[in-house]
Amino acid sequence: MRKLIASIRIFISGAWLSYIALFNWTHPASYIASKIMYPFTGMLFFLYLGISATGKDTAQFYIVGNALQIAALSGIYGVTMTIGRERNMGTLIYLIGSPANRFVIFMGRAFFNVLDGMLGVVMGFIVGTLLGLDLSYTNLLGLALTILISSFSTCGLGLMLGSISLTALNIMFVNNTFFFLLLVFSGANLQLDKMPVWVQSISKFLPLTRSIQSARLLINGATLTEVSSLLASELIIGLAYALAGFTFFRWFEFQARKRGTLEAF
Amino acid sequence: MMLSRLRVVWTVFYMYLKQIAIDGFIIFTVIIQPLLVALLAIYLLRDSDGFQAIYVIVGSALTGIWSGTLFFNSFNIQSERWSGNLENIIGSPTDLQTVVLGKALANTTISLGSVLFSYPIAALLFRFRLTIAHPFLFIVSLLLTILALMSLGLVIAPIFSLNPGNIMWINAFEFPMYILGGFLFPVLMLPAWTTPISYILSPYWAARALHDTSSGITFLSDVLISWGLIIFLSLTYLFISNWLFRVLLRRAREKATLGLQ
Repeated sequence: MRKLIASIRIFISGAWLSYIALFNWTHPASYIASKIMYPFTGMLFFLYLGISATGKDTAQFYIVGNALQIAALSGIYGVTMTIGRERNMGTLIYLIGSPANRFVIFMGRAFFNVLDGMLGVVMGFIVGTLLGLDLSYTNLLGLALTILISSFSTCGLGLMLGSISLTALNIMFVNNTFFFLLLVFSGANLQLDKMPVWVQSISKFLPLTRSIQSARLLINGATLTEVSSLLASELIIGLAYALAGFTFFRWFEFQARKRGTLEAF
Repeated sequence: MMLSRLRVVWTVFYMYLKQIAIDGFIIFTVIIQPLLVALLAIYLLRDSDGFQAIYVIVGSALTGIWSGTLFFNSFNIQSERWSGNLENIIGSPTDLQTVVLGKALANTTISLGSVLFSYPIAALLFRFRLTIAHPFLFIVSLLLTILALMSLGLVIAPIFSLNPGNIMWINAFEFPMYILGGFLFPVLMLPAWTTPISYILSPYWAARALHDTSSGITFLSDVLISWGLIIFLSLTYLFISNWLFRVLLRRAREKATLGLQ
């Protein structure tokens, strides 16, 4: 029992401290610029680009896709930097040296980013309604579940990228590339069924693809049962990425201990 | 006097270009991001009326050029501060603006690499035949684009260094220029109140000149107007930059923040 309480304490305090450290929150400007201005101006850009191609009637398609894409900001940038910066800031050695449960530490790094990602997507939908998004036929419970799962699955990808970034010199290169890959291949801005097979094949292995599909169906009046298989698949993809990330993290730890390269760059 | 300044600009340009050419962030901004934007834009726009692959390529390249200009120039002065060089530069007989000019020129030059890297994706992946309608006018437009972005870079650099907190706002400026600059869609689609904002941005006129000369112009006078406005706005930016640099240096000396991290 005491072990469980200790693990929960480590999970929550580790999650919170790593999250607030991420933004160096002495000033809210950092949060406003990177979590509000950047995604919403991005949403506007892709919305206008989309409707310049397919007409104003299709605006809802781009609004929904790009609102869900906001989850990737917290999932990819937030989680990856939370893990990757342990090494840059010199705190990884203490983390590895502590007796704390590795799984709890690792998963804790994603916890607040899941919540933050959800908040971002909700704000995206609010902005979307101002731009003409119609939620009157939407199963709101289903949409809330979709938002939660999309945020979780992108954080799963973030955990994997974060582990990889422990061996990479440039974390931002990895983050930026995957964020833009999602913009193209997740279906946020493209109708995947009209894309070539190779694009569809890549999209199947990415988080967000099924959440975006699910959100679009729910907004068009589908029930939660109708999208449940999509959401279950998305959840499995998120878990698979998170577990792959954890496995890589443990491998990195083992190799770093063996070779004495924990802080080597 | 002029020659020695030019020598400093050249030396900074050459040294800085070598330094940044292998930076992972620059590789992403100049190569990968425009490629992915081009890929997305081609898939989106290829079935639309009047689709021209060269329009998408030039527009996607402009996104990379702007991102490069914004991000690299924002850190032009800050990076010297972080590495402890700013005091040495200020103490040297060459003024800070001349040094930053060399860096801005290097940033713009490397950002133009976006044009080179966006081109193959359309040519190889989509098998589009890409032709530039007016090659000579396009090259002149490209040279004026360097002037436009370099002078804008000289405004960006001191703005983001005036206050350490300003640097946090960089991300907020990336997409607005993609939108207001009319890189991949006409600004006429936007609400009318945004049009005057586009008109005072030199990247908007650069985009117009590049699109007109690559996709095919209706009137030469349209291109000449764009060129004229690029030159006028660039001179205005240089004037503003000159004032901002003076404010920056005076403030740094008054508050003793020259080496403040």
